[in-house]
Amino acid sequence: MKIVAVTACPTGIAHTYMAAEQLEKTARKLGHSIKVETQGAMGIENKLSQEDIEAASVAIMAVDIAVEEGERFDNIRKIQVPVQEALKNPEAIFARI
Amino acid sequence: MARDLTFTCPLPNGVHARPASALEEVARNFTAEVVLLNERTGQTADAKSILSIVAADIRFHDACRLRVSGGDEDRAMAVLESFVRETFAHCDDEPAGTAAPNGDLRLPPMLSRAGAVLRRGNPVVSGIGLGRLVRAHGFRIPSHLPTDGACDPGAEMAKIDHALSELLTWYDRRMGNLGRCLETELLGAHRSLARDAEFRQVMARAIGENRRTAAGAIADAEAHFSALFGASKNLLLRERTLDIEDICRHLLQLVYGRDGELEKVTLIEDSLVFGESLTPGQFLALDRNFLKGLVLADAGITSHTVILARSFGVPTLVGVLGVPGGLVEGAEAVVDADLGALVTELNNSARRYYALEQSRLAGRRDRLLRHSQRPGGTCDGHRLEVAANISTLEEAVAAFAAGAEGIGLFRSEMLFLDRHTPPSEEDQFRVFKGVLAAADGRPVLFRTVDIGGDKPLDYLQLPHEPNPFLGYRALRIYPEFEVFFRTHIRALVRASGWGKMKLMLPMVSTVEEMRWARQIVAGEQAACAAAGQPFDSSLAIGAMIEVPSAGFMIAELAREADFFSIGSNDLLQYFMAADRANSKVAALYDPLQPAFLRFLRTIVEAARRQDRWIGLCGEMGGQTRLLPLLVGLDLDEISATTPAIPALKAGLAGLNRALCHELLLRAEACATAGEVAALLKDFATGSRAPLFSPDLILSEVEAETKEEAIKQAVDLLYVHDRLDQPRAVEEAVWEREAAYSTGFGHGFAIPHCKSAAVLSNSLVFLRLRQPVHWGSLDDQPVGVVILLAIRDADGADAHMKVFAKLARQVMHEEVRETIAKEKDSAALCAFLHHKLGL
Repeated sequence: MKIVAVTACPTGIAHTYMAAEQLEKTARKLGHSIKVETQGAMGIENKLSQEDIEAASVAIMAVDIAVEEGERFDNIRKIQVPVQEALKNPEAIFARI
Repeated sequence: MARDLTFTCPLPNGVHARPASALEEVARNFTAEVVLLNERTGQTADAKSILSIVAADIRFHDACRLRVSGGDEDRAMAVLESFVRETFAHCDDEPAGTAAPNGDLRLPPMLSRAGAVLRRGNPVVSGIGLGRLVRAHGFRIPSHLPTDGACDPGAEMAKIDHALSELLTWYDRRMGNLGRCLETELLGAHRSLARDAEFRQVMARAIGENRRTAAGAIADAEAHFSALFGASKNLLLRERTLDIEDICRHLLQLVYGRDGELEKVTLIEDSLVFGESLTPGQFLALDRNFLKGLVLADAGITSHTVILARSFGVPTLVGVLGVPGGLVEGAEAVVDADLGALVTELNNSARRYYALEQSRLAGRRDRLLRHSQRPGGTCDGHRLEVAANISTLEEAVAAFAAGAEGIGLFRSEMLFLDRHTPPSEEDQFRVFKGVLAAADGRPVLFRTVDIGGDKPLDYLQLPHEPNPFLGYRALRIYPEFEVFFRTHIRALVRASGWGKMKLMLPMVSTVEEMRWARQIVAGEQAACAAAGQPFDSSLAIGAMIEVPSAGFMIAELAREADFFSIGSNDLLQYFMAADRANSKVAALYDPLQPAFLRFLRTIVEAARRQDRWIGLCGEMGGQTRLLPLLVGLDLDEISATTPAIPALKAGLAGLNRALCHELLLRAEACATAGEVAALLKDFATGSRAPLFSPDLILSEVEAETKEEAIKQAVDLLYVHDRLDQPRAVEEAVWEREAAYSTGFGHGFAIPHCKSAAVLSNSLVFLRLRQPVHWGSLDDQPVGVVILLAIRDADGADAHMKVFAKLARQVMHEEVRETIAKEKDSAALCAFLHHKLGL
């Protein structure tokens, strides 16, 4: 399955990237394709385009703060979780797909 | 006919003991009667009595009148007028205070959990001291000494007079033995109070009118002046009560011998001395090996006791509530003058906290000390000698202890100031020889006497000039006072046989001046040879480069000069045509002016081409911020004040010469000083220590709690000079922890913060001996702590990418495994470099 995701934590220094890595790792393991956008101290990286989002079936929003340019995700099914959830139990998130 | 001089008190702190003694020193030279009137209060004072002047309670902006009458009143008036106009306003240079703000005391988490008892105080000397509480008592006449009903008042007064004269002799002897230092200054102030007519008068009245004994009279004098000073609105005056108490203690002892001795404080182990107050004399009598801190209820930042404590580095708190009454003698306590508190009822956690604090401070000290004992140089092996600027023999010893590799500037004029006749050849010779002996083979650069201009001497009678800085001074006056100059040179030439001397001439502006001076030196060398006096025939004679014209004549000057040293203060003032003491133009006095940097490089390169040694001895040399530019200049030496030396050496060790040279060229190409400052700041960020190093990876760390682990990680960065305010950084880390725990599971935690107190971005790895509770995601204790400390100023730069990469890497088990288990710090460093793509 094609999945997109966004990670963002309060300081944008560590957990944003830890969660992104964890989601990518778990997706690989479960045989999904995923593209994760990080919104951290360095701004938006690996930005999801409209095409990326349209091609995906679901968006995982592992965020503790408001997402920037959130309107991009208006027309896609979203799974919203705290960042910590992505670290603690990523497979449970994927189980909700 | 009496003559009056009116003025307004220019001293913000009013006329306390120091200005009073300055006025007294002037007034006592005349036979004329000098009366000082405080027009606000109507009080009058004898200007030849310090106590009397002080008692007039003259405050800032009070209208005052000096009335001079009789005897040599004309001369007295002239001198007093110039004193009041020129000197009086400047005779009060009290050190700035470090009083704590009165806001809430924010405790570090580890200490706040410890639950010890804290009493707030004003820290006046920073530092942390541990020891047992020892009480110091105030002034009380011992009960066995009678104070009243003297049978023979004359005999009692004779005892006092005898003791007073003994006391004055004691001061003189003691001051003579000590040489010039803080203690001498203090004793000088005490001596002036002790010989004050008013002081004796109060005791005479007590005996004559009230039939008090000598002890009673001393007690009365103590009470009288303490009350007088203590009632003053002026804090500085109130603090002088301690000086009076000290004199009375001493006097009592001189009259009664052992019987008159007040209870003495004896220290036999690490101790914190507490009391209402402590006199300077009591302080000096304490064994400083055991004195770890002072806690005083009542002593201000300018009291002599506090000034002494500061000079000896004894952590001190004042104004502590519940002192002395609420404290238990013999109990273990901590003076935490960094935090501003006295800590008592220590439990194990508090003890652990202070053990860590002490190792933090010791770690930083040791690190600086290690650097200070190594030869100065950059990390790529480029040598740059770090020397000291001094003016007296006493300073030489301290300079070498701090790691000076030589004396880059000995200002010989100090020997010539504050006296009425020039020092003899023998006097000069002794001092120069002494400095060379203290240098023990290290080079000492003596600058010949730099006087005139702002440093006039009454025995040379130099004309008054409208513009002394562009006038008759230094080298320029030598030909007129050739005999005086020859004596000076003779003393230097004679001393040259006793060590490694270099001789430098100040204010050289033309080649002829240098030629003339050289020929005088040669003449004195020949005279020494003829007299069979040993001297160094290869004595190096150099020119101080502080007049811009000399900077453009280096090649020609090199024929007359064996070396050069840049006097950057004057050079910059003359070059920018800006007086740095004039606040309207002081901004122009900026060593970062691109034109000045270009000029400096021209000078150094010209000296290099002539194969001449070249140093720099201005204030610029002491600023660690400017070090990259100084290294880029390719100097042989920088010379700075002694306290700057350890930091200069440590800073040098972190610099790369090639990069610094490149920086200098870029700085020169800038259009403004502001651009250079920005460049320098960028350079500091980029060239600071790498993100992590084996020094920042520790194993088997003993920590009992999360608070302790975080403190240790932050302290490690402090020790390595990567942050300057550990408590601020710790607070920022805890603020982040408050959002949610950074324990992300698997026994790992990744605490982090952005803070302005972080100097260079850093990563710390602590492997704990025993895992600690962290409130982790998986509820498991944490054994590996990775601290990310980030400068507040940094945005999306390369370091942030590395932090992001690290955050991703620790999601992988094999990476965590290596971080947790790799015993060899260097090997772990290499592994991380590889993983993080560095």
